[in-house]
Amino acid sequence: MILFIAALLPMCGALVSYLIGRRSKSARDYTAAAFALTEFALMLWLFVRALGGESFTCEIPYLLGRGLLLRLDGFRALYGLIAALMWLMTTLYSRDYLSHYRNRNRYYLFTLLTCGATVGVFLSYDLFTTFLFFEVMSFTSYVMVVHDEKPGAMRAGQTYLAVAILGGMVLLMGLLLLENLCGTLRMDELAAASKGVDRARLYLAGALILFGFAAKAGMYPLHIWLPKAHPVAPAPASALLSGVLTKAGVFGILVLSCELFLHDAPWGRVILAFGTITMFLGAFIALFSIDLKRTLACSSMSQIGFILVGVGMQCLLGEENALAAWGTVLHMMNHSLIKLALFMAAGVVYQNLHKLDLNEIRGFGRGKPLLMFIFGMGYLGIIGMPLFNGYVSKTLLHESIVEYIEHLEHAGHAAGAYQALEWIFLISGGLTAAYMTKLFVCLFLDQPAASAHGQHGNGDGPYMTRQSAFALGVSAAILPVLGLFAHQTMERVAQAAQPFLHAEAPHHAIHYLSLTNLKGGCISLIIGALVYFGFIRTLLMRTEPDGTKRYVNLWPAWLDLENGVYRPLTALVTKAAILVCSALVRVSDLAISGAIALAKAMSTAIVNGTDFMISAVIFLAAAFGRITEKLPEGILALLNATALRRIGRVPPKVRRERRAPTESTHAVTNSLSFGLLLFAVGFLAVMLYLLTNVV
Amino acid sequence: MTQNPALLLPVVLPVAAGIALPLLPALREDRNQKLFVTLILAAACLVTVPLLVSGGALRILTLTENAEITLRVDGLTRVFAVLMLAMWVLSGLFSFEYMKHEGHHTRYYAFYLVSLGALLGLSMAANYLTLYLFFEWMTLMTMPLVLHSGTEEATQAALKYLLYSITGASLGLLGIPLMLRFAGTLDFIPGGVLDPSLVAGHEGLVLGIVFAVVIGFGAKAGLFPLFAWLPTAHPVAPAPASAVLSGVITKAGVLSILRVIYYQVGTDFLRGTWVQTAWCVIALITVFMGSTMALKEKVLKKRMAYSTVSQVSYVLFGLFLMNTTAFTGALLHVFVHSICKDALFLSAGAIIYMTHRTRVDELRGIGKEMPICMWCFTIASLGLIGIPPLCGFLSKWYLCLGSLESDLPVIAWLGPVVLIISAILTAAYLLSITVAGFFPGADFDYAALQKHEPNAFMTVPLLVLAVLAFFTLCPAPLLGIISAVSAELF
Repeated sequence: MILFIAALLPMCGALVSYLIGRRSKSARDYTAAAFALTEFALMLWLFVRALGGESFTCEIPYLLGRGLLLRLDGFRALYGLIAALMWLMTTLYSRDYLSHYRNRNRYYLFTLLTCGATVGVFLSYDLFTTFLFFEVMSFTSYVMVVHDEKPGAMRAGQTYLAVAILGGMVLLMGLLLLENLCGTLRMDELAAASKGVDRARLYLAGALILFGFAAKAGMYPLHIWLPKAHPVAPAPASALLSGVLTKAGVFGILVLSCELFLHDAPWGRVILAFGTITMFLGAFIALFSIDLKRTLACSSMSQIGFILVGVGMQCLLGEENALAAWGTVLHMMNHSLIKLALFMAAGVVYQNLHKLDLNEIRGFGRGKPLLMFIFGMGYLGIIGMPLFNGYVSKTLLHESIVEYIEHLEHAGHAAGAYQALEWIFLISGGLTAAYMTKLFVCLFLDQPAASAHGQHGNGDGPYMTRQSAFALGVSAAILPVLGLFAHQTMERVAQAAQPFLHAEAPHHAIHYLSLTNLKGGCISLIIGALVYFGFIRTLLMRTEPDGTKRYVNLWPAWLDLENGVYRPLTALVTKAAILVCSALVRVSDLAISGAIALAKAMSTAIVNGTDFMISAVIFLAAAFGRITEKLPEGILALLNATALRRIGRVPPKVRRERRAPTESTHAVTNSLSFGLLLFAVGFLAVMLYLLTNVV
Repeated sequence: MTQNPALLLPVVLPVAAGIALPLLPALREDRNQKLFVTLILAAACLVTVPLLVSGGALRILTLTENAEITLRVDGLTRVFAVLMLAMWVLSGLFSFEYMKHEGHHTRYYAFYLVSLGALLGLSMAANYLTLYLFFEWMTLMTMPLVLHSGTEEATQAALKYLLYSITGASLGLLGIPLMLRFAGTLDFIPGGVLDPSLVAGHEGLVLGIVFAVVIGFGAKAGLFPLFAWLPTAHPVAPAPASAVLSGVITKAGVLSILRVIYYQVGTDFLRGTWVQTAWCVIALITVFMGSTMALKEKVLKKRMAYSTVSQVSYVLFGLFLMNTTAFTGALLHVFVHSICKDALFLSAGAIIYMTHRTRVDELRGIGKEMPICMWCFTIASLGLIGIPPLCGFLSKWYLCLGSLESDLPVIAWLGPVVLIISAILTAAYLLSITVAGFFPGADFDYAALQKHEPNAFMTVPLLVLAVLAFFTLCPAPLLGIISAVSAELF
């Protein structure tokens, strides 16, 4: 029950703060923060219990007909805690960031609703429950994306919503298939229930479910919403979207990969392939971007790719997947926390300058040590600088690939593909270092653009409030602590989380700063330095006539999966469907109108004793009203005259003039009598039949 | 069979009241009229609900030995009668305010009440003949609701409605001689009454006629190819009338089809035949076509009408699958669609009443003008799309699972695919309204914003429906009733 409360508490908070917000804005801000804090405290308590090895399941029967199932274990508690922490920090920061926005009440309502739903996803113990919370999360988070309602936001929101709906529905299809095949959606029963089931069908169900979760996680080729939605959302919302919501998708993929397809190599290869593409592509696009938040968004995509590589390696490595499992969990956690700091730092920039273009924000961070600390911690973490948190998880992931290569070579298999993977991994890490350096240098080292002089720093007052400084500072300070005390912090977390992944602890302690482990990280950093100086500073920057350098976006605009493929394709398919259905409607309408016209003609012919053929022509002309509309007046008059003379009445559409209401009633009674006539004929027929048969 | 004369009350009371309404001068006055209608609706509920609990049967008239007019309360009656009453009361309350701008209240309420009697009769019909009688009666009594405004357009729409319904009903009528010939009885008995020894050798004929009967009754439920009256009739009818036409009257078609398939012909005879396949295909075509046309349609009420075409065929598809899971889903979806579509039509009505806007492209910022109304609209939309925890999710879950469970080749998996594609389309045509309504864009002129929230007569029914759209949070009571029904049938 306590778990259910954990999911419902923020939702209640949402309603309460909304109602309060109608009266007082500041009371609303405090209420929202109080609820976020309570939620954090609750999750922290649960996390401590889970660290102590406690795990329990909690069922709410009858809800939605089959009951909901939640569970607390190490991993779930960890992610619940991270979600709660991120909501707490962003809620604290929102107060300052959103102070000049409209519709803030709506924003708080929906962020807190999303918070509850997200915690629900992370605590869920059967996929039915996951789906419930997942859908709620998808829809409520839409409001966060489009909050400022600018055209760019609305368009990105449209993409987000479309991907969310499509993903949700495909996910639903997969769940239905899975339920049909296995007869259960409980995570702990899936593995056993799927034994002896047709593998092809099981993979199909898995693929559909993967589609749904991957759409949220931002896996290629469903990543399209990510680089669009993150930059336009308010910064606190971007942090949440990038840090937690994508992880809800990853959570689903983990459930698939570690329960249903535990140690399943073909499945692992698929995840690995998509993960690799996502990892590299995200980093590559980020390299070109000259928009602060867009770069961070592409970076999120790339980091999700790293995580997915870890997931794939877990499946491939089978029983001995400790490194991959730890790497996956820790990289998830690190990425969430790093992006929290980075996006909020980006928010500070935007809040002061209302711009995100690198050329316009350059040099903003000069002389702002706190901002530099916040951004710097995230920066060092994400590029995998030794002694920082990102280094640990990346090293684990890297080592898991190395381990698999050794494994293959040991068994005498060719490992070429995986050696290539290792290099793509290292290069992606290098690209991460390069684009992050680009951001860092731009913000903190570059001279402000000449045109922007005097705008920076806001003149009157600090660039962020104390409350924001607290939220950002704490978020950033967590990162080096995790990195420096990896054994005491991260490893304990990973140990607590590993039962969820069905993984064992590594056989021997890991020395992150040993020479072999440092080698991978250093190769990445060297590649990063080469790319930064050899590519970004030369090719992606152009010298202006006045000697200053500008960042240029060389990414071709047409090379955009969404605008180039998905949108035209959707438009085309919709158009085709509408065309076919319209034709269907038209044909059936014409056929029935025609049949009715003939029936009318028949009845007129019988009642008035006139020529059936002429009545038929006239009534058909009336039924297909379009024809009469196109007839010239003369021919119409002729038709009317013929009709009056030969069949005694003129159908309204042929006469083509408005009738007085009394006349309409007349028309009804006319037709009503016709209807009753049909009825009477039918009734008579039945009676006759009854009499002849029964008597 | 013990006779329970009280069963006449649910039919007679609204009908008598409907007839009395235009005759008594005292009831012409607006306040008295509203009071009277409220009282009658309340009385109808008070009379009907105990009867639904206690059950019973009543033979009214015997025409011949096996053709009699009989009323009986069974599980299915409970399901449908409750729904009809609830929707009638809510739409009735809404009418009090809405009809102010339509005029001719007396006529409207008279037919409104008489139709309720016919519908309750339909739900209690114990045999085919009674069903047919109430079915025709209902058609004739609801036509004036479409005709209400008396314009040329309304006249044409009413005639179209009438012609489609009567054409459909005449096809439905074919079933009576068929059943008399091959079963010898018209009584509704769970599992069907066909006599195999009589049918032997005439399977083709029986199947053909049953097919036609269902297509005929399908006209009321908006089944392809006799659906075209819906998009014509709904936009011209007053909004509360559209709400019940779409939410309840279409369900009369569903009920009739259900009675014919499950209580007369019997699923054992139909399962696995070409007829079942054909029905399923037609239902799926209707589902897809309705959603697609709704996406194209720009007139709000017409969009809703096409949506009805699509959604009611979800129910029919579930019935045509003929297994327990799908049947449960179908009956749940009857509720889902009634509740959500009622809410959608009533909010469309509130929008028309308050702002005179009828097209979807005029609705930018409507959520800021009428927040309560549009919140209800949104909740109903999400319910209809099937987003958990709202109601549509559960019914679609059962429907899709039922389809996967059936052994029909291709349709077993094509069904869920079509239903889910249609759900995506539903999201596209409904949520676009919500989005434009609540997110008018940064350039929206907030200074010129005027609140147009309607009064309580309109908002209360909407809010009740919005709360009802969450009924699947605790569906156990309803599922209990449904499983009692399906236990008899399978």
